[in-house]
Amino acid sequence: MLNINSPLLNRRSLLKAAAFTPLAGLALSGCSTKASNSAPANTTVTVTSYGGSYNDQLTQTILNPFAKQSGIKPTLLANTSLAALKAQVQSGDVQWDLVEITAPEYETAVAEGLLEKFDYNIISDKGLPGYAKAEYGIKYLSFLFVMAWDEKVIPDGKAPTDWAQFFDQNRYNTKRSIYNQLSDSSVLEAALLADDVPFEKIYPLDVDRALRVLGQHPGKDKLLYHSANQEPIQQLTSGEVSLSTSFNNRINAARADGAKLNFAPQNAVLAGDYFVVPKGAKNKDAAFKLMNFMSNDAEAGAAFDKVTNLTLANTPALSKLPREIADSLPTSPKLADKILLRDDKWWAQNLKQTEQKFKLWQAS
Amino acid sequence: MATATLERSRPRAGGPSGSAWPRRRRRGGWLLLLAPIVAFDVLFFLTPLGKLVASSFTGGAYARVLADPLVTRSLVNTLTIALTSTVVTVVLGYVIALVLWRSGTVMRVILFAVVLLPFWTGILVKNFAWAVLLQDNGLVNDFLQNIGLTDAPIGLLHNRFAVIVGMVHCLLPYAVFPIFSSLTAIDGRLALAARSLGAGEVSVFRRITLPLSTPGISAAGLLVFIISTGFFITPVVMGGPGDMMIANEIDYYARQLTDFSGAAALAVILTVLVSVIAAVYQRVLKAGGHHETL
Repeated sequence: MLNINSPLLNRRSLLKAAAFTPLAGLALSGCSTKASNSAPANTTVTVTSYGGSYNDQLTQTILNPFAKQSGIKPTLLANTSLAALKAQVQSGDVQWDLVEITAPEYETAVAEGLLEKFDYNIISDKGLPGYAKAEYGIKYLSFLFVMAWDEKVIPDGKAPTDWAQFFDQNRYNTKRSIYNQLSDSSVLEAALLADDVPFEKIYPLDVDRALRVLGQHPGKDKLLYHSANQEPIQQLTSGEVSLSTSFNNRINAARADGAKLNFAPQNAVLAGDYFVVPKGAKNKDAAFKLMNFMSNDAEAGAAFDKVTNLTLANTPALSKLPREIADSLPTSPKLADKILLRDDKWWAQNLKQTEQKFKLWQAS
Repeated sequence: MATATLERSRPRAGGPSGSAWPRRRRRGGWLLLLAPIVAFDVLFFLTPLGKLVASSFTGGAYARVLADPLVTRSLVNTLTIALTSTVVTVVLGYVIALVLWRSGTVMRVILFAVVLLPFWTGILVKNFAWAVLLQDNGLVNDFLQNIGLTDAPIGLLHNRFAVIVGMVHCLLPYAVFPIFSSLTAIDGRLALAARSLGAGEVSVFRRITLPLSTPGISAAGLLVFIISTGFFITPVVMGGPGDMMIANEIDYYARQLTDFSGAAALAVILTVLVSVIAAVYQRVLKAGGHHETL
C-alpha cells in the first residue's frame, strides 16, 4: 500500500511546490534587492542626465575626478525624466540621487513637493553665481539653443545668422528639424525672433503668433521634429535635413568627432538645467558632496567648460579658462547682448498649456 | 485554432448533466496545476491593473482627458490607422497564406522563413530599416530620381502612409498563420469534386476556398486589429505629429505632463474601447457564421 501511494504523494507535493514557485521567486527577488540596498549609504551616488556625448563629457570631467577625491562611486544614467522621478518618490522606492531636470520642470517638482531641500552646509555657495542657487536645487548648467546646419549643403558663408533666415524657405529650400517639446527648447521664441520681435518684447510669449509664423515660414510640411537632444546630429549628418535647432555643446561634440556641422551663437537662446535630489533619495549627502565639488572645484569646472562649451555654475573655473574659450561660453559677457535669456518664470507658469497648444498645432 | 479564439464552444445538447460531475471532481486536483499561472497573474498582472484602474478614478482624470482635443484626435487616429492596417494586413496575409498553401515543400519552407524572419526581428529595427528606405535621401527616393520618374524627393516618411507600411510589416505574420491554418483544414476533395462538376479556378476559390477560410480571416482580423491599436514605436519613428496614436498620448501624459491618473484613464479608455469592438465583432460574426456547418 505504501508503495502504491507514495508516487501519488510525490506528485501532490510536486504540484504544491509548483504552485508556490512564483511566490518563491518573488521572495528571492525581494531578498536580492534588499541585499544590494544594504550597501552603506552615501558611498555611491546615482546621477541621471540626458545621455549621448554629454554623459561622456560629464563622466570624464566631473564624475571621475570627484570619485578620486571623495571615494564616493558615481553611476551616471542617461534616462533622466521628471515623470520617473515623480513615480519613484510616489512609490517610495527612490533609485536616483541626483537628477537633471529643466528649469520649468524644477518649478513643477517644487510645487508638487518631490524634492529634498539643498543643504548649503555641505554645499559651499561660494562658487555659485547668483542665478544658480535655489532652495531645492542648483541651476548648474547654462546652454545655448541654437540654429545648426550641415556644412556639406550650406557652407558657413551662406549660413543663417538670424532666425528669419533660418526659417526662410526661399533662402534654403530644405526641411528643418525642430524640437517637438518646449520644456528644454525655445522653438517658439525662435519663431517670434524670426518675426522681428525684439529680445526684450519676447515675454510674455505670444504663442498663437509664434505658431502662425511657423505655419507660414517655412510651413508645416517643411518641418520635421526631433524628440531627443542627440537626434538632430543624426538627422543632420545623415542628410535627412540640412538645418536644425540644437544646442551648442551637441554641435561642438559632433564637430570634435569629425562631423561637418556648425552653429551660430548669435540670436541663440540662453537656458539652463537644474540638478535636484528626489525626496527620500538614499544617498542624499553624497549627492550634496558631488554638488559641492561641481560648484567649487576650479580644475574640474574648467575642464568641463572647455570640453562641453557650456557654462557650469562654478565661478572659480572661469579664471582658469583661456580667453577664447571663456568668450565662447553661453554666459560670456561678449554674447550677452546678442542672445535672448529664456524666462524660466514664464515657462514654469505656462509650460503645460503651451505644450498642449504646440502639440495640437503639430497634429492638426 | 482559428475558431477556438473566436467562438466560445457551444453548450452540448442538454448542457452539463448530473452524470458528468463526478468525473470532473476526481480530476479536481489537476486544477492545482493552474495555481502557478493564477498566482503569477494575480501578483504581476491583476494587482497592477487594479491599481491602474483605481488611479484612473482619482482627480477627475476622465473629465480632464476627454476634454483634451489631442485625446479625441489620437483616439480617432488609433481607430482609423488600426482599421486600415488590419484590412491591408489581412488582404496581403491572405495572398501569402494562399501561396504558402499551394506551394511545394521547398517553396513552403522558403516562404515560411520570409514570413517568420521579420517576426523574429525587433520592431525598432524593422521601423528604422523602413525609415532608411523611405526618407527623402533614402533608397526609394534615390531610385525614383535616378530612373527619372521624379525630380524631387517625394514625402514617403513621417506620414500616415509610412505608419501603415511599418505596421503592416509587423502585423503580417499574425494574419498569415490563422489564415494558413484554416486553409490547410479544407478538405482537398471538395475542390476536386467541384472541378469534376465543371467549376473553374475562380469559381472554386469563390465558392469553396474563400467561404471555408473565413474563420481564419475573421480570427486574423480580430488579432491584427487588437494588436494594432497598441502600436507605439511605429508612429514615433515613421509617422508625423498628426499620426499620434493613443499609446503615444498615454506616453505624453505620463512623461511630459507627469499626469499619471490621466495616463491611467487613457489606458482604461483604450482597453474598454477595444474590448467593446472585439465583442461586437464576435457577435456579428456569430450571427453570420453559418459557413461553419459546412
